[in-house]
Amino acid sequence: MFGQRLWRFCCSLKLAIVLASTGTMVMIGGSLLIPAYPRLFGPMDQLPLLAWWRSLGSQAPSHTWWVPVAGLLLVLLGFNTLCCFIDWLLNLRSRWRKTGEYLVHLGFVLLLIGYLWGSISGLRTEGVRITIGQTIPVPGMSGHYLQLETLEPVLAKGRQIDIIADLRLLRGDTVLTRKVARTNHPLLQRSLVVIPLSFGQQVVGFRTLFPPLGTVHLTPGSRLEIPGGGELRVLAIYPNATRRPGGQVIQRGESAGRPAFLLQLHSSAAVPWQGWYLPSEEPAPPALAVAGVDLRPLEPLYRPFGLFTITLDPGWPLAAAGATSMLAGIVFALVSFYAKRRRGDRPEIY
Amino acid sequence: MPETKILPFIILVAYLAAASLYPLQLRWRRPGVQHVAFGLTATAFALQSLFLGYRWWLAGYLPVTNLFSTQFFFSWALAGVYLYFELRYRIGAAGLFVIFVNMLLLISVMGRDAALPPLIPALDTPLFTLHVAFSFVGYAFFAMAFSLGVLYLLQRRTGTSRLPPLAQLRRLNEEAIFLGFACFTLCMLFGSIWAQVAWGYWFSWNIKGVWSFLVWLFYSGMCHAKFVRRWQGTGYAILSIAGFGVVLFTYLGIGLLLSSNHPLE
Repeated sequence: MFGQRLWRFCCSLKLAIVLASTGTMVMIGGSLLIPAYPRLFGPMDQLPLLAWWRSLGSQAPSHTWWVPVAGLLLVLLGFNTLCCFIDWLLNLRSRWRKTGEYLVHLGFVLLLIGYLWGSISGLRTEGVRITIGQTIPVPGMSGHYLQLETLEPVLAKGRQIDIIADLRLLRGDTVLTRKVARTNHPLLQRSLVVIPLSFGQQVVGFRTLFPPLGTVHLTPGSRLEIPGGGELRVLAIYPNATRRPGGQVIQRGESAGRPAFLLQLHSSAAVPWQGWYLPSEEPAPPALAVAGVDLRPLEPLYRPFGLFTITLDPGWPLAAAGATSMLAGIVFALVSFYAKRRRGDRPEIY
Repeated sequence: MPETKILPFIILVAYLAAASLYPLQLRWRRPGVQHVAFGLTATAFALQSLFLGYRWWLAGYLPVTNLFSTQFFFSWALAGVYLYFELRYRIGAAGLFVIFVNMLLLISVMGRDAALPPLIPALDTPLFTLHVAFSFVGYAFFAMAFSLGVLYLLQRRTGTSRLPPLAQLRRLNEEAIFLGFACFTLCMLFGSIWAQVAWGYWFSWNIKGVWSFLVWLFYSGMCHAKFVRRWQGTGYAILSIAGFGVVLFTYLGIGLLLSSNHPLE
């Protein structure tokens, strides 16, 4: 008896209306705070909901309390809707004509579960930089890698309007999928979405005048044979750097300015030497000068990179199933509505 | 394009003439007057559809990307919804509010820029077209439900024979809510899928996203409320009026007063 009463309560239409209207009122009030506190609510779309709550929402509970309250009411509404759907399934023989309406119910429940799942265990990383040819690990997906093959910005009147990125998703060495991604056409793989956002170029080295050899391209890893014997290896390059009074070399930015080269000199006559050389700021270190190394950077060498948003939403496949169910439900409900109207089969409830 | 000035004006005049005839028909109750009014509305709608189709053909996409285009499309949707009820139920003057809003929208587009700018890649997807189209058709049904809700309350108070009977007004109101809800659900679904492929999330906590969900939740509640005795009839009419308030704030209030990811312009 109690079990039946409890089940009827869980399936109750009045409970649904109370939960939906209370949730609506809470969200109406709360949402008006969104434009008033952009720093607090603005990042809500940049992070999964739980991550937002942990990092920002919980810091200002007087402004954000309505989010968990509305969430709780919606979860209860989802449970009520699920009970209604199960109750309909149990009585399918007599209530099959309501298939459309109950597919919408199922869709709502799946969407809600999908959203909760994604909010709790999802991951979103914005501004991920990948240079052409580079392979990076996919955040949150162990053993998966993203490789950028080519990148082509689409410009109109000097402004970027789109970006076309040839991407590969790999698991280990195996290519899982390849996609020429652009606006509205992301790389989609189950719960992973990779969206190209923007592009830029990064200084990777310098075209440099090296008097004994002429003009050379120096990038990290370059090796130069020195005419007198020996080898000069470029270990690292800072595109813009300075040397502090203590001798420490620090990077000042990513754009080209006064470069610094971390070099290693190997010669048969002396022990290997390693150190920073800032040709725009100071004369060559004695070891380099003795070996006749004098670098004169001429112009930076750039390599384009893309900026990507990588979202991992484990709830998306479930939400997509919910959307499909809801779409089918709406179509069924509309067909059923007009069929009933044509037959004059319309229940009047007074 | 000079036709962007002249045609909306001609369409407006036709709607205005029809809207003037409907109250006369209420007074005189002559079928001829209703036929002429209906003919004018149908002609205006046909012209409006042709104009919309022509602009669609010119642009290569459904023109709903600036204020002129969206208001013109909303006006078209309102007229379409009015004709749907007129053809099915001969509601006549009962849908005058919808025609009135339709005319207001047409008047407001008169001075606006009707240019058809090239579509930016972010909007170049059928998902955007479906999202916007279903949104405005849904809004149009909600506007009709508002009109029918007001008339229900009026009829309940006056009991006049000039308006449709209460039972019919109630039935039409429920139908408007159901069809509006169906369209708005499709709008939300296509919008969510579009957001997922464009931005990587399918629900936005932007105020427009939250209020669109509230509109959906409100009308889904209304689709259930018709089965609760207390909310039938008068309660349902009041809910229809309140619901349209939520719709107006979502469409206009947020666009005009607050910043959102759905700008009006």
